[in-house]
Amino acid sequence: MKKEKISGIQMFVLLSGFLFGSTIILTPTKGAKNDAWIAILIGGAGGALLLWIYTRIAMLNPSKTLVDILKDRLGKVLGTVISILYIWYFIHLASLVLRNFGEFICTTTLPETPMAVIIGLFAAVLVYVINSGIEVVGRLGELLVPVIPLVVFVICLSLITIHDFGAVLPVLGNGIEPVLMASFALVTFPFGETVAFLMLFQCLNNQEKLKKIIFASAGVFTLMGILIFFRDIFVLGSELIYRATFVPHLSTMLIPGINVEPLVNINLLISGGIKISVCIYAATNALCQLAGIDDYRKLTTAVAVFCVVLSVWIYENIVEMFAWAEKVWPLYSIPFQIIIPVLLLLLSLRKKHGVRK
Amino acid sequence: MIKVLLVFVILILYDMQKFIRKKEKAMVYVLYFLFIGVSLVVGLLLAEGVRIPSPARWIESLFKMTGVLKQ
Repeated sequence: MKKEKISGIQMFVLLSGFLFGSTIILTPTKGAKNDAWIAILIGGAGGALLLWIYTRIAMLNPSKTLVDILKDRLGKVLGTVISILYIWYFIHLASLVLRNFGEFICTTTLPETPMAVIIGLFAAVLVYVINSGIEVVGRLGELLVPVIPLVVFVICLSLITIHDFGAVLPVLGNGIEPVLMASFALVTFPFGETVAFLMLFQCLNNQEKLKKIIFASAGVFTLMGILIFFRDIFVLGSELIYRATFVPHLSTMLIPGINVEPLVNINLLISGGIKISVCIYAATNALCQLAGIDDYRKLTTAVAVFCVVLSVWIYENIVEMFAWAEKVWPLYSIPFQIIIPVLLLLLSLRKKHGVRK
Repeated sequence: MIKVLLVFVILILYDMQKFIRKKEKAMVYVLYFLFIGVSLVVGLLLAEGVRIPSPARWIESLFKMTGVLKQ
C-alpha cells in the first residue's frame, strides 16, 4: 500500500475539524444546563487524557495502524475479530454523522428535499475527496478548517447586543452530578471518537510533533466550546438551550437584520465532512489491510454507499436519534474508546519494558 | 424503488469496469458485493416502506438484555 504523508499542521486541522464534527450543531453538554462550561472544562481535560492515550499507543508502535497494533498485541485471531468490530464502529460513526447532517439540513434549510438525497449527494462528494488521498483531505482541511472559528467569531460579534449575563448563574445550582454526566458525554462525543486517528497517526511525517498536535487540538476545541456555550447561554438562557434541538442554529436566527443561518451550514459541511472522511478512510483502510487488498480506494464507494443506507435506516426520526445518542452511545462507545485502547497501551508498555530488560 | 435500483446499477457498472480492467483479486469482488448487496436490499426495503429493526435497535436490545441499560 502506498504510504501517504501529511504535515503536522494538516494533522492539527484534521483533528480539530474532526473534534468540531457534528458537535458544531449538537450540544453534548446540554444536560448540565447553565453549568455546561464546567462540564466542557472537565470533559476537555478528560478528552485530552484520552487523546494522550491514543498518542502513546501510536508512539509505542511507530508506523503501525490500529489493525497492525491489535494483531501484534492481541494475537492474530483476537486481533482480527476486534479489528472487524472497529471497522463496524467507524462505519457506524460515519453514518451517524451523515444522519446528523441530513437531519440538520432537512430541519433548518431544505425541508422539502428527501433526506436520502441530501445525504447521498454529500457522500458522493466525500467519496471523491477520500479517493483523492489523505494528503488531499489534509490540504482541504488546511484551507477550510480555519473558516470554522472565523464563522463562530462572526456569529458571536453579531450577537453582542443581545445578552443576559445572569443566565449563567447560579453556579452548580443542580449539583455536581449533571455536570459530571455531561463531562463524560463530552469525553465520548467527540474526544473518544478520535480513536479513528489510530489509523492515521502513522501518516504524520514527524511523529515527535504528535503530542503537541493533540494537546493543541484539544485546547482549541475546549476554548471554542466554552465560547460557543457562553454565546448561546447569554442569548437563549439555560432552559431554552436545554429544550432546543439545534442550539447554534437558534442563536443565529436571533441576529437582528441579517440572516447568517447558512454560516452554520458551512461550518457543519466542513467539520462534518472531515469527520465522515476520516471515519470512511479508517474503515476502508482497516478493511483492506485485513483482506490483504493493496489500495483502500477500491472499496471506498461500497463502504460509503453502505454508510448512506445505514444512516437512513438507523433511526426512524430525529427524536430517536437524540435519545439513542444520549442513552446508548456513551455506553456503546466505552469498549472502543476506553477499554481496548487502555489495554493496548498497557500491552505496548509491557512489551517496551520487556525489550529493555 | 426504480430510482434506488438505477443508482445502484450505475454505481456497480462504474466500479466493475475498473475492477475488470485492473484484474482485481476475488476478495475485492467479495467485499464489494457484500457491502453493495446489503445496501441494495436495505435500500429497496426502505424504498418500499418496510423498516426492519436497525442495528441501533439491536445494540439497544443487547444492552437491555445484558442489564447494562435499564429496561
